Amino acid sequence: MQDALVPVKADDAHGELIQLVSFNLDQEEYGVDVLKVREIIRMPVVTRVPNTPHYVEGVINLRGKVIPIISMRKKFGLMEAENDKQTRIMVMDVEGELMGFIVDAVSEVIRISGSEIQPSPAVVTGGIDQECIAGVINQAERLLVLLKLEMMFSRDEKKFFSGM
Amino acid sequence: MPPIDCEDQELLEGFLTETTELIEKLDDDLITLEKASGDTELMNRIFRSIHTIKGASSFLGFDLLVKVAHKTEDVLNRLRKGELVVTPEIMDVILEATDLVKLLVGDIKAGDIQEREIDGTIAKLLPFLSENAGAAQKAAEPVQPVPDTPQPQVVETPVSNVQPSSEAVPVPESAPESVAAPPQPQPQPQPAPVPAPKPAADVAPKKTPAPPKAADSKGDDLSDNSTVRVDVKRLDDLMNQVGELVLERNRMIQINQDLQQGEADRPDFQEEFGKLTKRMSFVTSELQMQVLKMRMIPVEKVFKKFPRIVRSMSRDLGKEVDLQIFGEETELDRSVVDEIGDPLIHLIRNAMDHGLESPDERMAAGKSRVGTLVLAAVHEGNQIIISIKDDGRGIDTERVGRKAIEKGLLTEEQLAALSQREMFDLIFLPGFSTKEKATDLSGRGVGMDVVKTNIKKLNGLIEIKSEKGQGSEFILRLPLTLAIIQSLLVEVEGEVYSIPLSSVLETIRVDQRKFHMIGGQEVLKLRDMVLPLIRLQKVFNVQQRGESEDFCYVVVVGAADKRMGLVVTRLVGQQEVAIKSLGNYLANIPGIAGSTILGDGRVTLIVDPVGMIEGNE
Repeated sequence: MQDALVPVKADDAHGELIQLVSFNLDQEEYGVDVLKVREIIRMPVVTRVPNTPHYVEGVINLRGKVIPIISMRKKFGLMEAENDKQTRIMVMDVEGELMGFIVDAVSEVIRISGSEIQPSPAVVTGGIDQECIAGVINQAERLLVLLKLEMMFSRDEKKFFSGM
Repeated sequence: MPPIDCEDQELLEGFLTETTELIEKLDDDLITLEKASGDTELMNRIFRSIHTIKGASSFLGFDLLVKVAHKTEDVLNRLRKGELVVTPEIMDVILEATDLVKLLVGDIKAGDIQEREIDGTIAKLLPFLSENAGAAQKAAEPVQPVPDTPQPQVVETPVSNVQPSSEAVPVPESAPESVAAPPQPQPQPQPAPVPAPKPAADVAPKKTPAPPKAADSKGDDLSDNSTVRVDVKRLDDLMNQVGELVLERNRMIQINQDLQQGEADRPDFQEEFGKLTKRMSFVTSELQMQVLKMRMIPVEKVFKKFPRIVRSMSRDLGKEVDLQIFGEETELDRSVVDEIGDPLIHLIRNAMDHGLESPDERMAAGKSRVGTLVLAAVHEGNQIIISIKDDGRGIDTERVGRKAIEKGLLTEEQLAALSQREMFDLIFLPGFSTKEKATDLSGRGVGMDVVKTNIKKLNGLIEIKSEKGQGSEFILRLPLTLAIIQSLLVEVEGEVYSIPLSSVLETIRVDQRKFHMIGGQEVLKLRDMVLPLIRLQKVFNVQQRGESEDFCYVVVVGAADKRMGLVVTRLVGQQEVAIKSLGNYLANIPGIAGSTILGDGRVTLIVDPVGMIEGNE
């Protein structure tokens, strides 16, 4: 990881400064911890894998390593969209395993302080499992949903993945 | 107990590697010794091993280890000098001591030295050391600095050094502490130095040839395969290959430059490029071979722990077993070696516990008292075949069937429909056991399930041959390596899949109208057999592209004696592919064994024909 990605300790009482990568998905903006993001790539050719959950798009060759690709839209039960020039795959580290997530667009790296994270309101997100939402960040004119990657897959899903 | 105070981590690692190697060999040697107690060469080797361990650990200050090793060495020394005779009782104690040494070394390896109870074992060793009260007393004295073993490399700490004041006990087995053996006239002025120079001299040269010895990978610890020792010669060969590869790369850069500068029209350009490709492919396959060879280790690494297991089991079960091992020099990929240990242990336990009868039963059945257990490994084409064969009672299919029904694993009707083979396969069902009661050896119904699962994980097959009263044989067929396989690329409506060539028997082009339907199963009449068909398009949910054609290809795949046809649209060709895992998340998709990357960088899935055949049953 690059040096720039090391979280910066804030010296005031506002808690730790966190760096997030923000990305777009169906009008909404989301954020994940920058340390979890390995790289951001354009859409390559995806090889379909049969008999997998619907949100698994398939696998790709990431410089000699085969990694699964997951459609964030499908995972969150959002409308499917055509891939366009903005579409990106965020390769992230989910509990030690590399996985690619298809998102509409990746915007920027932002810094927030821990105190800006608010717990998500009880009824906030249509299809998205509440589990994987770590909180909401309300910054001036933008609203960011902070995702917790390790909660992306429910226990049942993990069971499906790891043994059938 | 001192903490690990070696600042020199390398020294410690060296010690651990060497000690682990010695211990592994030791187990094996000890078992052999029990059978061939007259083998002085073997005896000396064992003695040297334990002596080296003692020396090295004392140098590094592992006191507990030194104490145990020292006492063991003393007993061995007496065995060596013929003062004691090898008996099962002595062997039990020595083996126990070796186990203790293992445990202590394990602690050191884990970097977590604990105060272990060693007195119990040492107390068991002592009776074999002392001959009279005087000697015993001497032994009890804490420090007895005997000018011990002048080894060059080792500083001997004067631990409670029981150099037995050394009268030979004529009847060694019965040597109790109190035997006031008449002090033999034989004066032994310096008990220790007499034997010492020899081991010391032997130990030293033995250490030097150690690295080349690793060529046959007598290598590292079973539990820790993170480091490899490679023969220097193999490494040199590899370096040569890499050198050539570098040359070819330079050539390629040159050709690319030519191409950039528009010299591609030169008449010889094509030819040169063709040559380069050929050389590249040659060097790469050589390189591949070399690396593959380095990964190969003899199956002995797994086999050598079995004599010990068999010995202790036969003593526990009161059975007499003659374990014969063949083909332990057979080499296979280390990834496979690492995985077959557990299944083999289960199979051996199974054979010992269920297969072989007790001596009395055997006599009653007109067999020799001693049962035979044969463990053999052999190469066959791209596979290695390991067989575990016993001459015990064989599998009682009736009993197996009854048990399976009792346990609710299948119904009467299902049972009636099973062939002999399928009956055998019942024992692999999870939860199956013919034992009424679980013992600490077997009976929980887990073992065979583990065997099956592990073998399957390796893309291997398991076959059972058994005849009631005559014995059983378990045959494992394993791929030599898990890394690279020959595969047949096929196309299914535009998607390319790869089928391991090892399971492909033949391919045929057929008219789909010749397919028949039997009970909802598509079949094809192929010569004199009826071949069940699986449409990959269906099982993999591939979208239909364009008109379906009448003609398609059927890839006939086989596992054991089962055959099946996979229906595909087109054959693409044969290619050697490197297997890539799909990662933890997608590791268990039915019908898919893994993935690989093709020349154009795209990922292709590898079909698992064995899984498909089984899934289709």
